[in-house]
Amino acid sequence: MSKYRLIHRPALSDKQPFNASGIGLTALPEGHVIHVLAEQGADPSAMLKGLAEQGHSVRYAAPGQWYIVGDEPLADDALAALLTRLTPHAEGVDQSHGRVRILARGPMVERVLAKGSGTDLALSAFVVGRSTTTLIGHIAAHITRVEDHAFEIMVLRGFAESLWDDLAQMSAEFAA
Amino acid sequence: MASLVSCPHCGSRPKEEFTVKGAALKRPAPDAGQERWMDYVYLRDNPRGAYEEYWHHTSGCRRWLVVTRDTATHEIADSRDAALGVPETRA
Ligand SMILES: [Zn+2]
Repeated sequence: MSKYRLIHRPALSDKQPFNASGIGLTALPEGHVIHVLAEQGADPSAMLKGLAEQGHSVRYAAPGQWYIVGDEPLADDALAALLTRLTPHAEGVDQSHGRVRILARGPMVERVLAKGSGTDLALSAFVVGRSTTTLIGHIAAHITRVEDHAFEIMVLRGFAESLWDDLAQMSAEFAA
Repeated sequence: MASLVSCPHCGSRPKEEFTVKGAALKRPAPDAGQERWMDYVYLRDNPRGAYEEYWHHTSGCRRWLVVTRDTATHEIADSRDAALGVPETRA
């Protein structure tokens, strides 16, 4: 048996969230992240629209790829039911253990993210609900505008602490 | 000239998000002969001017693109998804 006790804890549980007038950072609950991959030639958009209308958060990722995310963990039967709904248009892969979401919110959020990403995040070009994958510094992250001045930033779990530290540093001038 | 590369899916992005594979050449037939295959694998023209290259949007949509780039000015004339096929003109 291992000498060390393995402790299951959220990747960002050590990080101190903050909420200043310019910018705030919060680690979102490690609920569920389902990576959706379309079958070749299939168009799952109608099926995904149906899921969104039922309250699922569906995020575009790339041609033929989406994420379904949420704050609540999915029990085995709920996950199985969701994966069944995706077929035959697409396959789903449970990435809940592998990707972590951070909420960045505040009037300075574009200014903060512009320090790390070359993506045009102006509200006119990147509307609420739009998603993309981009580099923030050296770390690839999936970002979604969830409000006029709020972005959900999803990152591989192993990079979550580094990205948090980078975002905190990028926010420092607006978080005093 | 900033090193921006346009992705047909993601828009204009810094080159750091991409990986370059090199010239977008038409793959010879399996039985095209040793000489054709030597050319395909090892020989490049290195032109000054327009050049078609495979670029992978590694830190973005992760799609393979064919980018038409000017090797002298880095101006990008065209960028499209590689899954749509390589034009016959570069055969
Ligand atoms: Zn792209």
